[in-house]
Amino acid sequence: MNDVTRHEAPQVPADREPAEEALLPPVDIFEEGDALHLVADMPGVTRESLRVEVDNDVLSLEGEVRLEMPEGLSAIYAELRAQRYARRFTLSHEIDAEAIQARIDNGVVTLVLPRKRTHRRRRIEVTAA
Amino acid sequence: MFGDLRRFDTRRPQGEDWFRQWLDGMLPEAEAAHIRSVPRGSFPMINVGRTDDAVRVYVFAPGLTAEALEVSVQDNVLTVSGRREAAVADEGARTDFRRERFQGEFSRSLALPEGLDVERAEARFRDGVCEVLLPKREELKPRRIEIQAS
Repeated sequence: MNDVTRHEAPQVPADREPAEEALLPPVDIFEEGDALHLVADMPGVTRESLRVEVDNDVLSLEGEVRLEMPEGLSAIYAELRAQRYARRFTLSHEIDAEAIQARIDNGVVTLVLPRKRTHRRRRIEVTAA
Repeated sequence: MFGDLRRFDTRRPQGEDWFRQWLDGMLPEAEAAHIRSVPRGSFPMINVGRTDDAVRVYVFAPGLTAEALEVSVQDNVLTVSGRREAAVADEGARTDFRRERFQGEFSRSLALPEGLDVERAEARFRDGVCEVLLPKREELKPRRIEIQAS
């Protein structure tokens, strides 16, 4: 499990071109138990090239496609036409940003976003009068 | 080491897909589509590249294992098929907000260039990408022709 880094100000590494195309990875988002779960397809992204950040309640998910391609390879056909994925979501206040957990397995990113303890669902017992 | 995929950037990026689809609906087909071409957004996405001695196919199949993906070649047509299971919900209530990821069975075919030695093909799976290496037949590799001084 990777720790989610928290930045006070958005940091853009100097070596990244801001205009570079990014793909929008397809995601599933569901709520189960006391957490929101986010699953994203990011094939070609490794544990090292994945970045998950929370900044001012904006969750950003970025990953660079790392493929081993030999020198002199020229494309004949391409459906995946960018080198990185990026997607951002606004978090609601009940998410505990400090407790977010991230995992990448075979190109699938799984995030678990737990609710703050005070916002968890409580079952109210109904007592018979 | 990590070749960049920008060399595949031959046409418009994926982000404009909705616009393109809308436009395609409004305007008649301008150019003839390849008979074996597929609509974009299919699962899994496939890239094909070529070097002097081989053709490399990249199948972007996240969440699949090598056992769950079947790759076959017949008469220069590559077929990838398999099944991606939906995540099994644990007991208890589950509320879905977004379901964009592909699930279920898939089968896609793609025409490859002629002259590949399928017998020597190799495939490996890493980080959700299956790379298939199809060497060209010896007689089709580029050959240097010696020019003799007269």
